[in-house]
Amino acid sequence: MATLKDLASKQKSKIFSLVIIAVLSGLSIILQAYLFVVIVDLIFLKQEPFSEVLSLLIGLLGVMFARTLFQYTSGRIGIKMASKVKNDVRKALLHKFSNNPILASTKGQSGQKVSVMMDAVDEIDSYFSSYIPQVIQASIIPLMILIYIFTQHWMTAVIIVITAPFIPIFMMIIGFQTKDKAEQQLDKMAAFSGKFLDTLQGLTTLKLYGRSNEKKKEIEKSSLDFRDATMEVLKIAFSNSLALEFISMLSIGLIALEVAIRLIIFQDISFFIGFLMLVLAPEFYTKLKDLGSAFHTGRSSMGAAKKIQHELAEEQQAVTWGNERLPTDQPPKISLKNAGFYYGEATFSLKQIDVEINPYEQVAIVGRTGSGKTTLLHLIAGLLPLAEGEIEVNGRPLSSYRENDWYDRLSYISQDPYLFSGTIAENIAIGTQMNATRQEIEDAARQAGISDLFESLENGYDTPIGEAGRGLSGGEKQRTAIARAFLKKPSIILFDEPTTGLDLETERILQASIKKLAKHSTIITVAHRLHTIQHADKILFMENGQVLAVGTHEELLQTVTSYRQMVEEQQGGALH
Amino acid sequence: MRDISVIIKVLLMEKKDIYLSVLFGVIAGLTAVGLFSSSGYLISKAALAPPIYTLMILVSIVKLLGIISALSRYGERFFSHRATFTMLSNLRVSFYEKLEPLAPRLFHRFRSGDLLARIVGDVETLQNFFLRVFYPPIVLALVFFCTILFTSVFSVPVALILLIGFFLTTIVVPVLFAIGQRKVKSSVRKQRGDLSTKLTEFLYGFRDLKIYQQLQVKENVIDQSSLAYSREQERNGIHQLFSESMNTFLSLVVSWVVLGVAAYLVTTGQLNGIFLALLVMISLTVFENTSPMAAFASHFEDSRQAAERLGAVVSEKSFDKKIQKIEQNYDKAPSITMENVTFGFPGESRAALKDFSAVFPSGSKTAIVGPSGSGKSTAMQLFLNIYSPDAGSININGQPIEQITNESIWKHTNVVLQENHFFYGTIKDNLLLAKDNLTDQEMELALENVKLGHFSLDDEVLEKGENLSGGEKQRLAIARAMLKNAPIWILDEPTSSMDALTESHIYQRIFQQAKDDTLILISHKLTGLEKMDQIMVMENGKLIEKGTFDELMKEQGYFYKMKQIEKSVFLAGNGS
Repeated sequence: MATLKDLASKQKSKIFSLVIIAVLSGLSIILQAYLFVVIVDLIFLKQEPFSEVLSLLIGLLGVMFARTLFQYTSGRIGIKMASKVKNDVRKALLHKFSNNPILASTKGQSGQKVSVMMDAVDEIDSYFSSYIPQVIQASIIPLMILIYIFTQHWMTAVIIVITAPFIPIFMMIIGFQTKDKAEQQLDKMAAFSGKFLDTLQGLTTLKLYGRSNEKKKEIEKSSLDFRDATMEVLKIAFSNSLALEFISMLSIGLIALEVAIRLIIFQDISFFIGFLMLVLAPEFYTKLKDLGSAFHTGRSSMGAAKKIQHELAEEQQAVTWGNERLPTDQPPKISLKNAGFYYGEATFSLKQIDVEINPYEQVAIVGRTGSGKTTLLHLIAGLLPLAEGEIEVNGRPLSSYRENDWYDRLSYISQDPYLFSGTIAENIAIGTQMNATRQEIEDAARQAGISDLFESLENGYDTPIGEAGRGLSGGEKQRTAIARAFLKKPSIILFDEPTTGLDLETERILQASIKKLAKHSTIITVAHRLHTIQHADKILFMENGQVLAVGTHEELLQTVTSYRQMVEEQQGGALH
Repeated sequence: MRDISVIIKVLLMEKKDIYLSVLFGVIAGLTAVGLFSSSGYLISKAALAPPIYTLMILVSIVKLLGIISALSRYGERFFSHRATFTMLSNLRVSFYEKLEPLAPRLFHRFRSGDLLARIVGDVETLQNFFLRVFYPPIVLALVFFCTILFTSVFSVPVALILLIGFFLTTIVVPVLFAIGQRKVKSSVRKQRGDLSTKLTEFLYGFRDLKIYQQLQVKENVIDQSSLAYSREQERNGIHQLFSESMNTFLSLVVSWVVLGVAAYLVTTGQLNGIFLALLVMISLTVFENTSPMAAFASHFEDSRQAAERLGAVVSEKSFDKKIQKIEQNYDKAPSITMENVTFGFPGESRAALKDFSAVFPSGSKTAIVGPSGSGKSTAMQLFLNIYSPDAGSININGQPIEQITNESIWKHTNVVLQENHFFYGTIKDNLLLAKDNLTDQEMELALENVKLGHFSLDDEVLEKGENLSGGEKQRLAIARAMLKNAPIWILDEPTSSMDALTESHIYQRIFQQAKDDTLILISHKLTGLEKMDQIMVMENGKLIEKGTFDELMKEQGYFYKMKQIEKSVFLAGNGS
């Protein structure tokens, strides 16, 4: 992503308008001071009648209006700029998240990602809505005031030129410190968000273990840390403005002293000039001080921007796709050639997977927990990048096909299918790109053996499910996912432990359904229950990230000892 | 309003800081007025060529006032912010405290992403409550009161103008805009919550979205949401800017009127001309503090909404009846009885459990079997007092559970749920929930017992245990329960994602440890139940059969039929 400055320079026309408005503001400030002083001078010293100043008073009102109007316009442009940038940045972040391979999506707490996209992005708002307009105003208006003062009473201008540079220097020194602190503060905020979401979701567990009090203390601490981090940043900001206040006060004092001495002792300037200097000098310093506070917010925005940039720049091993079309006439032949995958720095890996999967074949992946069954399934699904070897589909690398074509032909029923917030019908229809009719949705649910449950609900298929809706049990979720597959009619189906949590009767319905699905597709199943694999054409028996043996159930029973043990356990008593 | 008063109550915990903020605020405001008015007087005096010492005195007063003003401003900022952030921290904790008893039923009503947005975002919003709503009007009123009193010494008409100006800028305009704000009905918070919810869901459902090619769709939805959010922010920002500009203009107009009227009074001889500059400077300075009041309405509205939303989450009454509860300690495994228990989930017409009666004698081992949705888990949730039965009673050692604190029930129960939460951290962190003072050795042994010996205690666990497989999560949950070593066991399909070998191994371990304990195992599998003391068969929320394995097989009822199905499935084509 470009830096904040680059983003700002993209909005040239808005910057240009801000400059014009700043010049006009400067003019109105000078004019306002001038009119004020003229009026006081005319009444107080020259003792003119009130009628003399009436037109000047009306002029002053006009100038005041103009000044307010320019201030409003400038702020409005800033807000619009900020709004556009925030949208662009959110879009970029979201795009980045959605292009992450599965691995990256589970890395780190989701709460932190949400925090970057919500809080950090909101934080850059002030850079555009206040910092940029202020910087523009602060670099133009004081200069205009200074020039005008110089033409009226050069000594005041000299005092200003000597003292003013201290202000930006101070600001910069302090501002850089603020940037680091602001980053710390955002870190704390992200940590807090993550901890809180995690705690909320685990509240049931915490209560069962009598630990919710301890977590409360952790939250309290996290929260106080956050407060302290914020106060650190603020303390710098406050002492910053205190210092600026002192500098400007000293300067104004010097100016007043010089003017007074001139007025009384040397008597070489008029009251008009003296008063004008006293009115204009604070205006000059106020603008610089405004820049000081804007500079501070600008700095913290940059801290937030860095955080966002960091998120955007994070390296990822992406799964690559090509442009070739995948024929739709029949399920493709899938061959894994020496395929492998590594889980980052962790020790777990898949190695040397050599398997051929023919169209319409039913393949079961069997093995002990942790042997790499699910990872293999992810790899075949194209959810994980290959570290070595190749997956070929119809003799060509999977990476040469279009991503959409591949997923159009594929269904994946995971251990814990995700239900989106929406109705049951919507959740089933998510399986297909086509617009499914209600009839089709109901048929799919029937084939998945879950129509009875859905129809028994008060609102039937319109019952909201997902996080905010009715909770479904593990088995019900899985059957919903299977209904999705029935609707989609894919040519490759990937099942991850499909029988988990299902009762026997439903399981029987399912077996029949799967058999039906198998007529049109290749099915690759990660199975723990042997009955689902007895009919498999090919069983991949996995151990430690490798395929130990390939064969039918009977073949493996005879040749592989640990396989036979598993089957025996399944048939006999598992308890005691 | 009730919600706001809750916030004020939390706020008032920081009394000292509040007083200090107000004190320093008033001093800073008054000295600023003094500073500018005396410099106006100074220059007028100087024009009349007074003796030099009067000038010196005036200059020193100006300096002194300046220094006090700057220092008090610092004090005001420091104390007000400290008060605010401490309040925020207290607020988070108090929110958590209120939330905690409502879990886990709460998650049926609110999505967790939304909760996060509420507590983090809304609490952040409330920082403006003290800083911009609560104390500034107090400070402003005091400063104005003193200033107007001071001004009346010089000119009563000018004092009256200031008074009118005060009412206009701090009451009339803010109220007018507050009405406008209501019409606009700023929905920034709502949009923010909406975006945050969608984003959280997007990250959790990432894999399924990817496979169903819904990423793009959801991305577009979120983009829309993000657009709507920043559009609301923009609208809100501009509205606020407009009111601020309006107020600035109004205060300029007041000073303009002061100038006009004072000038007129000077020409008619009712006011000494030397005070003209002083009065104008007073007016200009004192109204500088009023422009933030324009934002009062929107900050108030924001705070009110945030407080209301926070209140809505925790407003639900705790379902517990007001009965004096007692702490109980069970040294020996207690007996559990359920009598005619009926229960329906809130908002569902179908009862999940109907007239359910069961006796679980001390030290007995019971299996509850039946299809999913038959009410097995519901019965256990009722026992754990997560929900209360609509009718019937549940007793521990003959004592109704309403009379026993939840904590004592949970303390004495080892629970393994279908879905177990793991916190972001290490394996050790997650095991330590079980009990205090666990040694590394004990924990390693526990891991060994559930065949997770390959994990080290320092291995990282990602949010929701994302980096663990289903079986690993179950085994880790069992290890945690075993470490807790309580006399009651509630196991809800604890091994559904495990392979047969691991399952049988783990069951052996559990039964070894639970030899003398009261154990209830919920299972959909029928293997290995031969040695259970009793088996309960459930269907559609009803208990339909009960007995030992042999009894039930002899009866040839429902259980027998299920067993036959299981056998036929397992043995078909097995050839052994």
